[in-house]
Amino acid sequence: MNMKSISYILGWILRIEGVFMALPAATAWVYGEREGWTYVAVLALCLVLGQLLTHKKPHNPSFYAKEGFVTTALGWIVMSLFGCLPFLITGEIPSFVDALFETVSGFTTTGASILSDVEALSHCSLIWRSFTHWIGGMGVLVFLLAVLPMVGGSNMHLMKAESPGPSVGKLVPKVRFTAQILYQLYIVLTVLEFILLLLGRMSVFEALCTAFGTAGTGGFGVRNDSIASYSPYIQWVVTIFMILFGVNFNVYFFIYIRKLRDAARCEEMRWYLGIIAAATVLICANAYDTALTLEHNVRNSAFQVASIITTTGFATVNFDLWPELSRTILVMLMFCGACAGSTGGGLKVSRFVIAAKSLGNYISTFLHPRAVRKVKFEDKDVEPETLRAILVYFIAVVFIFAVSVLLVSLDNFDQITNFTAVAATFNNIGPGLNAVGPTCNFAGFSAFAKCVMIFDMLAGRLEIFPLLMLLYPPLWRESISEARRRKARAAR
Amino acid sequence: MLINPAKKKPSGLNIIIVGCGKVGHTLTERLVREGHDITVVDTSERVIRDTTEIFDVMGIRGNGASLSVLEEAGLQKADLIIAVTGSDELNLLCCTVAKKAGGNLAAIARVRNPDYSKELTYLRQQLGLSMIINPELEAAREIARLLSSPQALTISAFARGHAELVRFRIPAGNRLCGLRIADLNTVFRFDFLVCAVGREGNVRIPDGSFLLAEGDEIMIVASTRDVHRIFESIDMRSQAVRSCMIIGGGKSSYYLAKLLLEQRMEVKIIESNRERCEELSTLLPEAVVICGDGGDEELLKEEGIGTAEAFVPLTGLDEENILLTLYAKRVPGLKTITKINRITFNDVIEGLELGSVVYPKHITAESIIAYVRARQNSIGSNVETLYHLFDNRVEAVEFHVQKDAPVVGVPLAELGRRKRDDMLIACINRGGKIIFPRGQDAIAADDSVIIVTTQTGLSDISDILKPR
Repeated sequence: MNMKSISYILGWILRIEGVFMALPAATAWVYGEREGWTYVAVLALCLVLGQLLTHKKPHNPSFYAKEGFVTTALGWIVMSLFGCLPFLITGEIPSFVDALFETVSGFTTTGASILSDVEALSHCSLIWRSFTHWIGGMGVLVFLLAVLPMVGGSNMHLMKAESPGPSVGKLVPKVRFTAQILYQLYIVLTVLEFILLLLGRMSVFEALCTAFGTAGTGGFGVRNDSIASYSPYIQWVVTIFMILFGVNFNVYFFIYIRKLRDAARCEEMRWYLGIIAAATVLICANAYDTALTLEHNVRNSAFQVASIITTTGFATVNFDLWPELSRTILVMLMFCGACAGSTGGGLKVSRFVIAAKSLGNYISTFLHPRAVRKVKFEDKDVEPETLRAILVYFIAVVFIFAVSVLLVSLDNFDQITNFTAVAATFNNIGPGLNAVGPTCNFAGFSAFAKCVMIFDMLAGRLEIFPLLMLLYPPLWRESISEARRRKARAAR
Repeated sequence: MLINPAKKKPSGLNIIIVGCGKVGHTLTERLVREGHDITVVDTSERVIRDTTEIFDVMGIRGNGASLSVLEEAGLQKADLIIAVTGSDELNLLCCTVAKKAGGNLAAIARVRNPDYSKELTYLRQQLGLSMIINPELEAAREIARLLSSPQALTISAFARGHAELVRFRIPAGNRLCGLRIADLNTVFRFDFLVCAVGREGNVRIPDGSFLLAEGDEIMIVASTRDVHRIFESIDMRSQAVRSCMIIGGGKSSYYLAKLLLEQRMEVKIIESNRERCEELSTLLPEAVVICGDGGDEELLKEEGIGTAEAFVPLTGLDEENILLTLYAKRVPGLKTITKINRITFNDVIEGLELGSVVYPKHITAESIIAYVRARQNSIGSNVETLYHLFDNRVEAVEFHVQKDAPVVGVPLAELGRRKRDDMLIACINRGGKIIFPRGQDAIAADDSVIIVTTQTGLSDISDILKPR
């Protein structure tokens, strides 16, 4: 394995993280907070370490799928480790596991918190928490690909490893321009939301944090009651933007190049919007008693549905108090997730649609054993390869989910808590039900359970395989023996 | 995964390549390296997946002649479409559809069936294509050139055939050994210029003080009609080959045999398929067509490999071609030329010392890249011809100079001081007359200038000047 190239890219990730930390540092300067110096120090540390690692360009250009996976997984781990340093050093989150949990929850756009009093945090830490959502939403490697001119088709491996969805395509022939277009769309949408929030009389600081949280489909709020105490206008804006950020970004690209018909034809988006509409109507009817007016009812239902399906995790109401049907619908939406190629998490609508269609296909083979029928999605045949990858993905999800629930149950919470805690972290949502409901937090879990959930969050964001690859012994066995052989040959 | 050095280039063209076989693959590789935005269209999902894994290109699965597929591949924004599928008819249809639907789009099609070879100009004009490429015919032409100067390892034609870049190895005890390059013109009566020297795996562009030695691979530029006499004057036998044995009866064999027969050469083709033999004998009545296995040593002996002057294996299998050449190398004085279609182990092939090797896919790629560079940059100069030599380490480019180019009217002595060290002005073609650069001459508008360089990606004549 090409360790030099990997460490080179890790160095660049650190440098970019250092640059991103300028935002909390600047915030601290605006509010005159002493915590800002911590951010300046960590910023400097990231830049210096990054500079050391990127000092020499690697000579060996070979970079294959395995390097792409390992780099992505390691990159996210490194990024989280350095991202949690400010929380530790300022003492706002004294325990290492808690700080790491909070940061991973930020980068993976989960939004699950171990803090019971968010408002006690300094402004710079609050904005860093929210900013990690924004960075993690589109992905730091995609950012790297957008700003650094790298040659070779191999950089597609990085994009594939980081971008969510069963099959990652390009918008334009070059990876670099594809990444640039994605980030441009991302920034434009974020700024749009920011402006609309400002129009709703939100303060600049809160509007910025909320826009970051929505854009990355993260869900860290700056108030203890999340979005509940804001005006209905703001809640509607957030609802709409949550839904927008859960749409496949290809759709926006089509709109951008004026191919409106192609944009409207996107099958995944139609299913996604259909599911949102259906779930909202069902919950409206079911949880009618808990609302004051019809508008209140529709707003609450739509907000919660959008928040859960896009895996954002904001809340305007304690949906834990809703009737059982509504709660169950929300849990199901947790697994459904947003569209592929969006900033949302979960299993992705496209995977479910393709799986459902191939299930139908399979059943029809009993009716006509010799029938030849292909699964179609987005007007195209689904390749057997893609189909297999989706099935394997489901299997992997089930295994990891089961093991995680088993491990978390050591903490002796009830089953719903355990189940939804793992579901909420694995699918990058945030709040679950019962003890991890929207008004509660994850502080009550043991350090071990938190570590399990840290793994789940990373696995969920990176779509499992990069992380599993990192834990796959033959990979390291082969790399070590390869390095040994190379050394021996050099000595000779 | 390396960071590209800050090398400013004009922004790339949007190119659609339909068909990703050998030629398509090579083209994709080369054009990506030149910085263009490539979309590849192929019917096979596997091919698309493999291509997009290796190169930074977009892949679309589908039939390249279908309008909806082409539109998905970005036809509206495309500058160029290159159709290189296995079928000539599909290629032509694909280009026609694209020309009708696309805006300002150039089209290049590969057409290689001999049935159409006489009508290529007609097809090109009527269908509005920019270029029709025929790799088999081009390869046959190159082989024919090599057979007329058998000492050369490669011969690249420039200036519409008026000048040639000839690469050969200096044999032991030759007159050239120990001579300084600056002295060559006083020793020999003929004008030529040493453009590049390969020694022990390194290639350099020599200056006047460079000493030639035995075993050097040198590349000279000379007027085409002088090449024979130059070889004579440096004591290298230069009799053109009079008889040739071709193994395999494919398209390139047909084209080659036809070219050689036009030069009144004796041609013997060995082909194993009976029906193909009959076709060939109808098409080429003057050739001797033998039906038999070209890989059979006895048959080769029987058909007189021991007394043949040239041996050209053109079977579809690269490995067989190489093996046949290795066998033929044992016959003293036999000129061999090996065609390699597919395999890529350049170092290994070089190490086998096969002599002249012809790569049809590279020939095609070079002419297309020359076209693309010319299209990309039509301000001061146009790329007319382009060759990569010495395993891609040397680039020879012919520019057509227009009147507002910055090099026009500058005396060459001064240009010599202002140009970069890794650039060499090999010669100037002024209306068919080849001029070698000497102090007082100057480049005039409408000249074509041949530049030899170890840099790659030269697209404008002004690039040869030192940056100020």
